[in-house]
Amino acid sequence: MSATTDFVAAQNQHRRNTMVLLAVLTLLAGGIGYLVGALLEGESSGSLPAVSQLGIAAAGLMAAVSIGWSAISLAVGDRMVLSMAGAKAIEKQDAPQLYNVVEEISIAAGVPMPRVMVLETDALNAFATGNKVGNGTIAVTRGLLDSLNRDELQGVVAHEMAHLRNLDTRYMVVVGVTVGLIALVCDMALRTMNLGRMRSNDRKGSSGGGILIIVLLVVAILAPLAAKAVQMAVSRQREYLADATSVQFTRNPNGLISALGKLAEKAAPFPGVSRATQHLFIVNPLHQFTSKTPALLATHPDIADRIARLRNLGG
Amino acid sequence: MSSWIFLGIVVAIGLWLIAVYNGLVGGRNQAQTAWSQIDVQLKRRHDLIPNLVQVVKDAMGYEQETLTKVIQARNNAVAASGNAAQAGPAEAALSQATHGLFALMENYPQLKANDNVMQLQEELTTTENKIAFARQFYNDSVNTYNTRRQSFPAVLAAASLGFGPMDLFNMPEAERAVPKVALR
Repeated sequence: MSATTDFVAAQNQHRRNTMVLLAVLTLLAGGIGYLVGALLEGESSGSLPAVSQLGIAAAGLMAAVSIGWSAISLAVGDRMVLSMAGAKAIEKQDAPQLYNVVEEISIAAGVPMPRVMVLETDALNAFATGNKVGNGTIAVTRGLLDSLNRDELQGVVAHEMAHLRNLDTRYMVVVGVTVGLIALVCDMALRTMNLGRMRSNDRKGSSGGGILIIVLLVVAILAPLAAKAVQMAVSRQREYLADATSVQFTRNPNGLISALGKLAEKAAPFPGVSRATQHLFIVNPLHQFTSKTPALLATHPDIADRIARLRNLGG
Repeated sequence: MSSWIFLGIVVAIGLWLIAVYNGLVGGRNQAQTAWSQIDVQLKRRHDLIPNLVQVVKDAMGYEQETLTKVIQARNNAVAASGNAAQAGPAEAALSQATHGLFALMENYPQLKANDNVMQLQEELTTTENKIAFARQFYNDSVNTYNTRRQSFPAVLAAASLGFGPMDLFNMPEAERAVPKVALR
């Protein structure tokens, strides 16, 4: 049973990696909140306080806003994504094989049967969305249905079921909100700083504030980029995890391997796909990532790399 | 003072017992749900097979022996259902017989063109997969449950709380062997 421990170990490693990444993001958001608050307080009083009340309040505010924002996104995001992509719900008689395969994998995963949807496009792709176990949707394109055999379809559906079971949609919404918040706050900080500098120029400037302002400037410019890079790293880890979980469900890496091979050739963009939804799909519909493209801002890992990892699981 | 410490220890042990108990109940329920899923799918297969045999009977008149074997295996499996020890081998024999039938059906192009046959074949395939996946999930759940009740310190309390070991559902390996088709 060495295969069993292999993918369990792989999953544990992925979970650890994503926890580390989420911790880094949270620290980054809180740190930026504190820094902005502290610097603003320092600027108005002329010297940097040891413990800034305003900084702590700003860090707390960051946390509160990010929770509230996440809750709203989770409540409405699901439906928005589906209607944007133009997915239509199907019943068993519309696509019996797809429906059967989803039923099979939901048994393998031990999760309730999700809704099944089809996107009417020739491009090959699939995605899953759902903010809690038992309220999920798996959607595949018509092109995918027409060109994959049963085993390949099973591998793809198992990958999407893995996203549902691992609650990746929820996770990525929370990460996305944190990243958006960091960008927003940094943007605001840059604007406030411009105003502040104009004001302090008027009253002949305080020399102590100079270094602080440069620090704030550098942080405000770099932090959104760093946050974006972390978000993309989380997204890639989740793809690897879903691949490993897919093999746990089907015990057959070959289906997903050969499906990914076909997807790599024909995952063309189609109407309804945008930068806002690209990370949800099994392969990115807008960009093909190869080992040559800069990996730092890619939503998905290189397909060749995913296939190589699947072969390690015994494919 | 010492009575407070004593009380604290009693409460801690009580909370620990509750946690162990709930964990074991959760594990056992998950395994039992998985078992009922296997049962549902096995029954579904028992119902589907006579239909398929009925539909292919005319076209496959010369394969009477295979068809009889499938029906025989199906009836044995129905008779053995409910008894986990006998059901495993009987269901495995049934899987083997149906795979043999599927392989023979490849020789009859007119069957592949028949929507009814294709539909029944898809239903049987998905039912077989569901049996395999339900068994996999059941066995994983049982393994997790058994490991939990054997782990220290839960092992101290599990037996006295009435949590016995659960059995895995085994189907002999032959089920997965590729059916041999004689070619001449």
